[in-house]
Amino acid sequence: MHTVGYLAKLFGLSRSTLLYYDEIGLLSPSARNAANYRLYSDGDVQRMERIAIYRDAGLPLETIRQLLIDESDSVSAALERHLIGLNEEIAKLRRQQHVIARLLGDAQVLRGSRSMTKAQWVALLASTGMSEDGMSAWHAEFEKNFPQAHQDFLESLGIPNEEIDMIRRFSSGK
Amino acid sequence: MNVEQWVEVFRATGLDDAMMQRWHREFERRYPEQHESFLKWLGAPSSEILKIRNIAG
Repeated sequence: MHTVGYLAKLFGLSRSTLLYYDEIGLLSPSARNAANYRLYSDGDVQRMERIAIYRDAGLPLETIRQLLIDESDSVSAALERHLIGLNEEIAKLRRQQHVIARLLGDAQVLRGSRSMTKAQWVALLASTGMSEDGMSAWHAEFEKNFPQAHQDFLESLGIPNEEIDMIRRFSSGK
Repeated sequence: MNVEQWVEVFRATGLDDAMMQRWHREFERRYPEQHESFLKWLGAPSSEILKIRNIAG
């Protein structure tokens, strides 16, 4: 049996976090000692390991609680839902990066954001000796094999949505 | 999308190994941080990122 302090140290959590997990029914210790202190079993530790993994994936505590009740195929569904949410959030943050860079009118800002612009990317491709036809072919291949990644990539360059739609339509020959 | 798939698309477009090497070299020279960030986007492990950047640098 393990104490709150031991578990807190093991998972790098504060004691109050563990007490909170108990309170919301996420992780309740299996036993109490004579002085009524919480005691966690090895099974509790295993449960905490799962909680830690899902937490690292960014799942909300309530979702984790539900998952641990019925951990069949609902896990992948919940993770997938979360992933889609993350993608949307990333796209939104990228748009903000590019708007800020535009407002400040400073290429250095964008450099700091670790994002590329379309012009920089085109210049980079051109430096390999790729022609304009080559770039069209590249978009077409990208669109054909990995349409979602193509969308994601174009978003990362801060290209407006209408233009992304145009590029993708053009790339798929429609 | 991963590194192999990216390479696959490049190859299908007609880029050969020499062109791809030049591309990494230029990427590293002009935009080192973005190069790293791009490789991370493809999900390359740190060890592979280091290797690619060392060859390119």
